[in-house]
Amino acid sequence: MINELLIIIFAPLVAGVIAWALDIKGLRELIGIVGAAVPLAYLAKLYPTVISETVDYSLTISGFTLQFQLNTMTWYFATVASLVGIAMAFGMASTSKSSYDWLFALMSFTGVVGVFLSQDFISFFLLWELMTFASFMMVLRRNRHESLKYFVLSVIGAYAMLIAIGILYAKTGALDFESIRQAMYIDASLGTMSTRETVLVFALFLTAFGVKAGAVPLHVWAPGAYSETDQSYTTFFSGALSKAGAYGFLLLYILMGYKLYATLGTFHGHLTFAYIIAWMGAITVVVASFLAVLQEDIRKLFAYSSVGQVGYILLAFGVGSTLGLAGGLFHVLSHAVFKGLFWLVTAAIILQTGKTQFKDMGGLARKMPFTFAMGLIAVLSLAGIPPLAGFASKWLIYEAAIQAHMPLVAGAIFLGSGLAFAYVVRFLYSVWFGQRPSDLEDVKEAPLPLLIAMAILAIPNLVFGVAPGLVTEYLNKILGGEVVGGDYYRLVTPTGTYNALLVTIALVIGIAIAGLVYLYGARVRKIPVTNTYQSGNPVTEEFNLSIRRNFYRPLAEALEFWLKYSWDRFYERLAGLTEDFADSLRQAFYNGNVQSYSWYLAIVLLILALWGVL
Amino acid sequence: MISVYYFGAISLILIGLYAVLVKKNVLKMLIGLSIMETGVNLLLVSVGYISGRSAPILSEGIGPNQAVDPIPQALVLTAIVIGVATTAMALSVAMIIYERYGTLNVEEIRRLRG
Repeated sequence: MINELLIIIFAPLVAGVIAWALDIKGLRELIGIVGAAVPLAYLAKLYPTVISETVDYSLTISGFTLQFQLNTMTWYFATVASLVGIAMAFGMASTSKSSYDWLFALMSFTGVVGVFLSQDFISFFLLWELMTFASFMMVLRRNRHESLKYFVLSVIGAYAMLIAIGILYAKTGALDFESIRQAMYIDASLGTMSTRETVLVFALFLTAFGVKAGAVPLHVWAPGAYSETDQSYTTFFSGALSKAGAYGFLLLYILMGYKLYATLGTFHGHLTFAYIIAWMGAITVVVASFLAVLQEDIRKLFAYSSVGQVGYILLAFGVGSTLGLAGGLFHVLSHAVFKGLFWLVTAAIILQTGKTQFKDMGGLARKMPFTFAMGLIAVLSLAGIPPLAGFASKWLIYEAAIQAHMPLVAGAIFLGSGLAFAYVVRFLYSVWFGQRPSDLEDVKEAPLPLLIAMAILAIPNLVFGVAPGLVTEYLNKILGGEVVGGDYYRLVTPTGTYNALLVTIALVIGIAIAGLVYLYGARVRKIPVTNTYQSGNPVTEEFNLSIRRNFYRPLAEALEFWLKYSWDRFYERLAGLTEDFADSLRQAFYNGNVQSYSWYLAIVLLILALWGVL
Repeated sequence: MISVYYFGAISLILIGLYAVLVKKNVLKMLIGLSIMETGVNLLLVSVGYISGRSAPILSEGIGPNQAVDPIPQALVLTAIVIGVATTAMALSVAMIIYERYGTLNVEEIRRLRG
């Protein structure tokens, strides 16, 4: 009997390998979907066990003990990832045309779930690398340059983490989380680890997890990598894989939160280290949201939006109170479901139209009504319209930030939300409404598997929006206390109450009244889209009435000064300098001159002589 | 007080090294290599020398206690053969270089090779 945890982690990988090896069209999709469904089924089965006790498993491989554990928190993250994973599998059944995609998409599924379930640094790092590698391979197929950018940054992050793990191992002699946590807790009073070492470990972990979470300034890989891959896979990439970074920050709290507090102290009443994370999140939210607003490509827009929304999670974790953690954890779920849904909608649009630029699209709502409805749910959820999951989580984050007396950070969330509105309006306007370009006349609704995938992610958006208590009740179990009170429909924090059911009812009644007014108003007559107001002039089909380019030009002009500074360009320049340096190094040393090699020999001999070896 | 053998051997090595490092003519470099090799051999032999003893050939009146260290001598014997072989090969390479490029100046050769 194989252990259930191993099945949860490795079922997708096994399915991926089988699908890749068989490579029979139809069968590989089926195997892939089954493989992606297995973890969710097992997680659902283990739910009653998890809420009362932990499920442990450990195995020894080449001298290392790999430990996996399913506790309330790891179950939560693994379930979110699996939910997005199954939606990805359904979506890929429509969009992916090769078994290569299935292999690596399911491999990264294994990596992400494994990262969440790991309880020691060996398995954590191994699966982290598996996840990075698989997602890199997904991007590599389509765009070499972007994939390398992602890979180099990920490698920097991963090896920063390896160094941090090495320091922790040297100091504590342990690799499993529980021992490290205890050792760090004791060390907070002993102080054998100096301030400088603690700060170093903190900074290294910040880099490692910041890369995966896409925190500014380590976000530059995200726009390219999220765009240049199978869009159904991006559902998982941005919905679940970026959560590994957020989970890493949580892990940092668990492992050395108290030690960091003891070493770095507080800053204006906030935990210093958490305050740094909060500001990292706040800057990410603002910068990424501004950049999302200015994008001209549907994939780039959602890529930046994804970065910004993960910034919310970091910000919420950085608030440092249990309410902040609850808000962040809730946002992990709601970001996964609404951003996953967004990417599936994008996948459907790109699959059916073959276009990615806003300038080529318009008026698709009539051609793809179901996709449009799903896109609308995602838009409402992301922008934070009350009876949807995005509102509940953002509301909790606001409450937490205000309660923690962080006016500037709360302002950043506020600004980010406003900008989020701006870019989803752009998406709604340019893709769905307005005049349809003539080459999109024969566009059809998205294929069935993709629609199923969208439904899988749309339902949680609605359910957890109307009944956010379902989530917060579970979050209370993770955080070990009544952090967010209330029942299924009501959220109660120390400073406020949000009744989702009441809001839903009010909204439904309001829409009903408005509908009645509309239905019993003047007679409705359908007219073509070109029969429209154009300062009283006649309009023909050839005339483009929709604004499809530079939608937010005044904003871009207002931000001109700030847009001059780009991290992207900075990294490109850095990469160029490194390349030049490597090139000149090669030419200087490996120069084909016999005598210079003799000189190297002479110099080494001289050094040895001076050292006293000779 | 450093032994004159050591001093001489190391000087020979350094002279050879100087030729290899600085001279531009391939043949001169090879001469430097040869000198260096001689120096090395001399150094090796002088390492094994024990003052006042004779050659390590067991014969009348000469036991193991009266002989110098035989191991360096065996080493040097091997090293001489290797040295001659490498010199011969390097010289043949030098001939080929001269046929190909018409010069023995290392910098010229590098330039011509591109």
